[in-house]
Amino acid sequence: MARDVIKSEICPKLLTGSFGNPSAGALLTSPSSSAYLSSPLEMDPETPFTLNISATQIADLKHRLELTRFPDELDEAEWAYGAPLADIQRLVSYWQTDFDWNKQQAVLNEELPQFTRNIDVDDVGTLEVHYVHKKSELEEAIPMLFVHGWPGSFIEARKILPLLTATHPDVPSFHVVAPSLPGYGSSEAPTKKGFSLDQFAETCHKLMLSLGYSEYVTQGGDWGGLITRRIAIKYGGKHSKAWHTNFPVCNAPQFTLNPFHLITSFSMILDLLWLSDFEKQALQRALETERIGTGYLRLQSTKPQTIGYALADSPVGLLAWIYEKLVGWTDGYKWTDDEILTWISIYWFSRAGPAASLRIYYEVNAQNELVPSVHDVRPTIPMGLSYFPKEVASLPRSWLRRTGNVVFDSQHDKGGHFAAYEVPESLVGDLRKMFGKGGPAYGVVAGSTGFKLS
Amino acid sequence: MAETPFKISIPQALLDRLQQKLALTTLPNELEGSGWDYGVPLADVKRLVARWMDGYDWRHHEAQLNQLPQFTRPIPVDGHGTLDIHYIHQKSEVEGAIPLLFVHGWPGIFLEGSRIVPLLTAKSDDHPSFHVVVLSLPGFGFSEGAKKPGFNIAQYAEIGNKLMLALGYDEYITQGGDWGLAVTRKIAQLYGGKHSKAWHTNMVFGDPPADFDPSTLTSEKQAALARTEGLMKKGMGYRHQQSTKPQTLAYAMTDSPVGLLAWIYEKLVAWTDRYNWTDDEVLTWISIFYFSREGPVGSFRIYYEAMGNETVPMQAFREAPAPEIPLGLSHFPGDLVVVPKSWSRMMGNVVFDSEVHEAGGHFPAYEQPEALAGDLRKMFGKGGPAYGVVPKKLGYRN
Repeated sequence: MARDVIKSEICPKLLTGSFGNPSAGALLTSPSSSAYLSSPLEMDPETPFTLNISATQIADLKHRLELTRFPDELDEAEWAYGAPLADIQRLVSYWQTDFDWNKQQAVLNEELPQFTRNIDVDDVGTLEVHYVHKKSELEEAIPMLFVHGWPGSFIEARKILPLLTATHPDVPSFHVVAPSLPGYGSSEAPTKKGFSLDQFAETCHKLMLSLGYSEYVTQGGDWGGLITRRIAIKYGGKHSKAWHTNFPVCNAPQFTLNPFHLITSFSMILDLLWLSDFEKQALQRALETERIGTGYLRLQSTKPQTIGYALADSPVGLLAWIYEKLVGWTDGYKWTDDEILTWISIYWFSRAGPAASLRIYYEVNAQNELVPSVHDVRPTIPMGLSYFPKEVASLPRSWLRRTGNVVFDSQHDKGGHFAAYEVPESLVGDLRKMFGKGGPAYGVVAGSTGFKLS
Repeated sequence: MAETPFKISIPQALLDRLQQKLALTTLPNELEGSGWDYGVPLADVKRLVARWMDGYDWRHHEAQLNQLPQFTRPIPVDGHGTLDIHYIHQKSEVEGAIPLLFVHGWPGIFLEGSRIVPLLTAKSDDHPSFHVVVLSLPGFGFSEGAKKPGFNIAQYAEIGNKLMLALGYDEYITQGGDWGLAVTRKIAQLYGGKHSKAWHTNMVFGDPPADFDPSTLTSEKQAALARTEGLMKKGMGYRHQQSTKPQTLAYAMTDSPVGLLAWIYEKLVAWTDRYNWTDDEVLTWISIFYFSREGPVGSFRIYYEAMGNETVPMQAFREAPAPEIPLGLSHFPGDLVVVPKSWSRMMGNVVFDSEVHEAGGHFPAYEQPEALAGDLRKMFGKGGPAYGVVPKKLGYRN
């Protein structure tokens, strides 16, 4: 009881060893727990962070919104040409007047315990990384790294956080770390060229280590999927013990002269004969996305600076740019205006500005790594895959199995690209199945099974 | 119907609003040493915005533009009502001058065609003269744009043809590059023979022959092909965006002067050949987009309509059948696509094929007006392959 009081009311940092001595924290935990003894790393004190956008910034935003110049729209265009004018005008009007950022910010701060920490990235230097960190009450919870993508942010963790960290004898519990990728949210952005998948992976991995999580599991979609895949390749086995993604992408069959590629490619084509209806529809959707939904992708991966000027300068420009994806990539999710504007305000008020968030596309494209290739290095650690029907690009299961050691896969009938936000119970349900007792990845992190040690 | 003269007169309120917004410009940072690789460099944008706010005088440039003989005219388009069309019209003193329709592309504007006007309309015993019409495509400059979906190349072509007929030019020739190529090609397909008698383009492309061996190309040509490949790989994001989600892009481009500046300036530099843009030239060009009747979005929609649903790439520029009327090609070394001349014969009934000019890119009418005018004079002048295509309009004083 006393421990709980100390933990929650007097100084939460005590349990995290904030006196610079991990064993100080251990004294206050249950003597039977060996969680801290199994994490041999030193952990620097956490620096709490509260999102606190200034009144000046808010006033500036409203001033710009007031001066918004709108385009017209073709008759009956609806969504065919892009975000509809009526939606954007309504959102701008609300953003300028009654939308209460301070209130939304306060709720975010309350729901998401945030911190910042300096992470040293090889050949880059130090970046201050903003992250959410919520520990389960259960010491033996599984450390999980959750990585967002674009146009996502740390906000994508808000609904899964209470579910993942909940403790219950029947489901595994998790300690959750959800960083803002460099260049997003309140994380510093790199200033040099070449900050690509390796660097993003290194940043996230080092964050986990610095928090005392030498071994952990990961979850990610969009860039989070590609980054956690890189983590699985670079740090898999020793540190990353299993990875789960809701972004089932890989390259299409390639017909090069390499005989191994040829064999793989032909068998991928043969796989197409055995697609389920779900997979057929998903493939159609992926092709359609490729046809009419990748303008932003081609632009951001070649000229991020050019479009960056507009997005950094124009709130309505940024709003439309992201809103189109929030609606187009979700499965009938009933966004409220508050949700949309909170989501986009995070971009508008981000530390590095919206232009910085685009550069990952350029850097990864420059290395030809926008889509994981079935011919590349395959992470060996257990992989989980969740298929959501309205994901923008879902490729056949048999193809994805070639990209990793798939031990878990699931299929849902609701949900899209932002699964953690749209259908948190589904996504968490999958993670609980994958990592729970009897699950294919149960116990991957020694001593942190997600259940009390009996 | 008599011509209705047009003078650009941007309301002061819009100028003031522009300055208000410029004063609020928030710039992103830039990666060290990124140069032009990631897009327009920050230093260029900073300098141009500063000039736009202080030093650039729109009214002065507006007055200069108004020295061009501009007009507007309502033109009906089947299924799309009537559009108020803006154009330059300069007749030559030579009564029998050849009527010529010049059609710009994107991010072109009527200004692009203004420099060849005095050259083409000039009278001389040594070269032909032309009556010149420079069309502002619907949605560009001060032309009204389409109000409903489906305004495709055939509709732009209809506008061009009807404008020439309305001006009393029952038979005429055309010059165009970029979308101007697609539109004048469509004019040649739909109205060729009867109205359009010959067509000329500076945007040349073509396919390699079946037995093509890259090693047979000169190093110059290989470099040009490599540059073309590079531009196609790294410089087409704007095209994908405009042809799939022009409305989404429109909010940013309509609202943000610096956003629009960067968007267009990138092409003004990337697509020209050693052209020394002055800041005021750039700002005038972009101001025309900013102040255009339909706003920037009017200029994006041609991409959506003509390219959003292609069954083959670049369909609007090459779909069968190739027009039969005589075609002239001018080769400029700095254009986006530079291919060996022999490849481009497939574009149509090529009767004139210039030498590759010393300089010039995607906007040769603006960058190298003498060179382009020179080619048109050669093609249509006495002894030229298209001399006399327009009956009774030979281009010379009698």
